[in-house]
Amino acid sequence: MKIKYTITGLDCPNCAAKLSRNMEGIEGIDSAKINFLTEKLTVETSLSEADAYTALSAAARAFDKSVKIEK
Amino acid sequence: MKQIILGMKGRLFRIGAGILLFAAAAIVGRLGLEIISAVLFAVTLAVSGYDVFISAAKGLFRRDLLDEKFLMSIASIGAMIIGEWSEGAAVMLFFLVGETFENISVRRSRTSIRALMEICPDEASVLIGDKEETVDAEDVEVGSVIVVRPGERVPIDSVVLSGSADTDTSALTGESLPRAVTVGDTVQSGTVIINGLLTMKTLRESGESAAARILSLVENAVDNKSKEEKFITKFSRIYTPAVVIAALIIAAALPIFKITTLTESVYRALIFLVISCPCALVISVPMAFFGGIGGAASRGILFKGGGCFERVAKADTVALDKTGTLTKGSFRVSEVTALGLDREELFYLAASAEYISNHPLSDAIRGLSDRAAAPSEGEEIAGEGVIATVDSRRVAVGNAALMQRVCATVPTPKGGEVFVAVDGVLSGIITLSDEVKPEAKAALEAMKSLGVSRSVMLSGDRRENAEAVAHELKVGAAYSELSPEDKYARLEELISESAGGVYYVGDGINDAPSLARADVGIAMGSVGQDSAIEAADLVIMSDNLMRIPEARVIARRTLSIAKQNIVFALAVKLLVMVLGALGLANMWLAVFADVGVAILAILNSMRTLLIARNSPKIIEKVNKA
Repeated sequence: MKIKYTITGLDCPNCAAKLSRNMEGIEGIDSAKINFLTEKLTVETSLSEADAYTALSAAARAFDKSVKIEK
Repeated sequence: MKQIILGMKGRLFRIGAGILLFAAAAIVGRLGLEIISAVLFAVTLAVSGYDVFISAAKGLFRRDLLDEKFLMSIASIGAMIIGEWSEGAAVMLFFLVGETFENISVRRSRTSIRALMEICPDEASVLIGDKEETVDAEDVEVGSVIVVRPGERVPIDSVVLSGSADTDTSALTGESLPRAVTVGDTVQSGTVIINGLLTMKTLRESGESAAARILSLVENAVDNKSKEEKFITKFSRIYTPAVVIAALIIAAALPIFKITTLTESVYRALIFLVISCPCALVISVPMAFFGGIGGAASRGILFKGGGCFERVAKADTVALDKTGTLTKGSFRVSEVTALGLDREELFYLAASAEYISNHPLSDAIRGLSDRAAAPSEGEEIAGEGVIATVDSRRVAVGNAALMQRVCATVPTPKGGEVFVAVDGVLSGIITLSDEVKPEAKAALEAMKSLGVSRSVMLSGDRRENAEAVAHELKVGAAYSELSPEDKYARLEELISESAGGVYYVGDGINDAPSLARADVGIAMGSVGQDSAIEAADLVIMSDNLMRIPEARVIARRTLSIAKQNIVFALAVKLLVMVLGALGLANMWLAVFADVGVAILAILNSMRTLLIARNSPKIIEKVNKA
């Protein structure tokens, strides 16, 4: 399933790339692409929508408190 | 802007405090109170860098030793350890200043691009019974009746049920001339109603409507990366490790070979750490393309991705479809000869006979008489015309072949003539022509001055008609009477003959394969045509041909800005590294090479937003030259 989120609070594209790698390390998340300029996170996942959101927000919070994900 | 700055209040406060502390520390140092000065510098470092340290600690915890913030922390603390108090504090303070500026400019450019994209209202006024209700545009079902008032934007693609108005489609097409709409006309979402109240029936869901589709095209375009962006991504992966390794070598090797003291070599190594982030490039290059794409979208030019900029900038050949692309695709009467009856009568008979045909030429003739009505009887002969009984007279309207059939003799056709015979006698000649778009010639000339040296017209139309248009527009070569397959074959020939690449310009009606095959497929005026949008690299929302040279200008300038940034940032960093290794640079210079260059590169990238607006002027200049 493909899900799109808005992701805010990232400092730079480098951080965006790192966070997306962290997210791709989560089990069930096949790919997580962050576009720094459009502030969009596109995820391919086998998880349910709710589970994916929980996992992704946890990854974002662990990365930096100011990073927020919204559907 | 105000909002952006307010959102940065905390940071701005820290910058202010940092500068005051730094100044105080420097003054105290001048007065000879070195210990107090050192403490003040350390406080400056803490105030300006505490969040960097926290995040560096986190990076360390994740064993991310190449984290930008970790390296910055090492650089500033390291400087203090070797006794360079003021420089250690300065590194962090300026890093904070730089990051803040970077943030402001990134947010600014995001906002300005988003403003270009705010073309679709979230809500619609839906008529339920005779009451209006405000509903989320997303929830409006196809076939609902909506009301749009002057000054409002149409939320969903709809057809007008009642009312008429002038509309402004500039957000979609970049065209500033208002378009009048009335009952039966289709209006795309994002269009602004200037005057008049329209009641409309929705044709699509909001997500499928024009504005939403443009938005999603632009958003997806950013994911289609250019060569430059790919280079930066690869480069940034090796840059930081390489610089850090160089720093370690310098720190260790110089004292071993007794070239400098350990303190000096560490200082030189720290300079490397300060410039170890490829941030300037990583932010500014994609931003240049983002700005180019966003700016172009505001002129109704949609690039399907950063990847096609290079091809748009380099192509040297343009192949154009004729009808609907170079011409308006609507026929107009250019000459009338009435023989033995008056014009009104001729028009009446011809228009009535044409009632039974759907041919585009018939549409034009039908419009000639208000009195025309369906004939009592008639037949259409494909490829020739119609024969019908109008007011008990035999009326034949068509080409020379049809005239032969009804035994009327006609002069040799020159192109575009429709003959009218009444009861077997030639009674009139109506010459129809497809109007050439007024800007077509200028657009072709502009393309030529911009380096598209070869222009070719590919037309399915008859030879006389095609050649007349080619002659009028001074197109390099014209091929006529081509089937869609012939066009494709011709296009392949052109591609094999071209060194720089070929544009194919079409309206997407049965030429989608050609749009896909060309190096740059340009679909004109076709937001509704799925196959065309899918196949094309460049979608032009209006049918204005000037947008093609404009797109070329945008592509060229965007590429050159991206390249400027790459060269500038790399050159400065390399220079500072060389100077640093030789002991000729200090940390101040390194900080400039890091954040200063990033800010300059971002500001440079933001210029891409303006290119689109200035492109008509640029074309004018090029044309004059």
